[in-house]
Amino acid sequence: MRVQRRTKSRTGALVLGAPSAVLLVVLLVLPLLTIARESFEPFYAGRIGSTGGGLTLANYAQLLSPTYLLYFYDTFRIGLIASILSVLIAYPVAYMIATQTRPLRRKIYLTLFVTLMFLSVLARVYSIALTFSPIGFLHPLAGWLGVSPNSYTIAQVLVVLGLMHLIIPIATLTLIGALQNINPRLLEAAQSLGCPKWRAHLSVTLPLSAPSAVSAFVIGYALCVSAFVIPMILGKGRVLFVSNLVFNRFSEIANFPGGSAIAIVLLMAMLVLVWGISAGLHRLANAGGR
Amino acid sequence: MKRLSDDLMSILVRILIGACFFFLLAPLAIAVVMSFDARPYLAAFPPPSLSWRWYDEFFSSDYYLKGLWLSILVSGLSTAIAMVSGVSMAVLVDRTYFPGRSLIVSLFMAPLVIPGVVIGFALLLFLSKIGIYDGFWRLMAGHILVAMPYTFRTTLVGLASIPRSYAEAAMSLGANERQVFWTVTLPLAKTGITAGAIFAFAFSLDDASLSMFLSDPKSYTLPVAMLSMMRADFNLTIAAAAVVLLALTVIIIILLDLTVGLERVLGQGLYRG
Repeated sequence: MRVQRRTKSRTGALVLGAPSAVLLVVLLVLPLLTIARESFEPFYAGRIGSTGGGLTLANYAQLLSPTYLLYFYDTFRIGLIASILSVLIAYPVAYMIATQTRPLRRKIYLTLFVTLMFLSVLARVYSIALTFSPIGFLHPLAGWLGVSPNSYTIAQVLVVLGLMHLIIPIATLTLIGALQNINPRLLEAAQSLGCPKWRAHLSVTLPLSAPSAVSAFVIGYALCVSAFVIPMILGKGRVLFVSNLVFNRFSEIANFPGGSAIAIVLLMAMLVLVWGISAGLHRLANAGGR
Repeated sequence: MKRLSDDLMSILVRILIGACFFFLLAPLAIAVVMSFDARPYLAAFPPPSLSWRWYDEFFSSDYYLKGLWLSILVSGLSTAIAMVSGVSMAVLVDRTYFPGRSLIVSLFMAPLVIPGVVIGFALLLFLSKIGIYDGFWRLMAGHILVAMPYTFRTTLVGLASIPRSYAEAAMSLGANERQVFWTVTLPLAKTGITAGAIFAFAFSLDDASLSMFLSDPKSYTLPVAMLSMMRADFNLTIAAAAVVLLALTVIIIILLDLTVGLERVLGQGLYRG
């Protein structure tokens, strides 16, 4: 009886788990191993796919040239600016929604931000491009900043704005959860002891919601670094992210080994970023708890 | 003194919140209004008269309609497959410990962290090495992968919230494991599963980075069609397409609110990735 049940549950587990395991191996593990292998293949212009020749580190060595490093630098720098600004702006907005006492208003704000989170990236990018195009009302921005509308500066500003449009709703929704769990009495206590409201926020609200703010930042930064459509359209060819570089390797010169090496480095950078910041956050939270 | 600093801060914060709403909504409003522009060319906002011209153009363009239809087909099918896979794996992970369990969980969640272009590039290369060149099957492969984390995670959250005692109560009343699963566990996890399916469908529908690699001239999704139009010529048919996508988003939100409730979206810790 007992033996029978065990075999039965084992076949059950196999039936439940096998299809997913197969999907993951075929759709994720094998493709990643393929590009890892491909990234060591020599590249000959005009030939698609591997040659079966020797292994080389040339595709990685190439990435150390200043042009390539600049793409990585731009990606991580512009992404950092956009995600920090997004969290800073999302903070008061999330606080306003979390402390909203009227149910209808709360529902309206919540619906708005969930809709904005689900909104298609294409719709965002087109709307922003239209707003800053010669027919849009923010076209004079370049003039106000004293630069040409086709300058590198304006391309950077547009990419940052595009990324912020994507991240602010996500950061807001992430922060609302943490902010509404803070007991309002703590704030009242600080104020009744003579603390100005803004300082009470600095010493009560901010530390209590810091872990959420950091995770909102990590999510936002990760999204920025892997952004593809936003720099492709809003960067106007002047700002290119690493993602765009991978696509160009494939679509313009069919350099699969070179594209694979960039993809592998991007993936590694991403994992280090997410794990690094999460580990740092964990340590910070532990230190704060003591 | 104290009062003054508080008043000043609250005015500043209000201005910041106002600016944020303006920044998030004004561009969308402009795109929506411009999509009804009656002029046959791109000219300054606001339009002097309104018409359905660009929608007529969108809905009579074979290029866009093919993309829209394939988008819905690919997202629908891949969500269904990801649902079966995600739900069954979540059930397995929830009730048993087995070697490699945490590896399976991180593999399931990996598509959220791995940049879309990396997945797209890797799949393209791998599929061409095993002889799959057809755009439709390549898109299916990519979109199943995009959908899997959502169906898996929400089901897992749903299952974890069911008290163990419910299943025990059913069993002590004579139900076997299978009956418990179909009559107790699954109905209670239904909200989580629905949320996951809606999320998976929405994010698969919106994907462009993977689809740019996996499409071919015959099989492409609506975002891919829009992207190549945006790079070629910036006319207002794209505005109409953007509004169609916006309308789809609104439908998805209404469905989400009716089936799951928007308040629960917060609690699930669900964000796009």
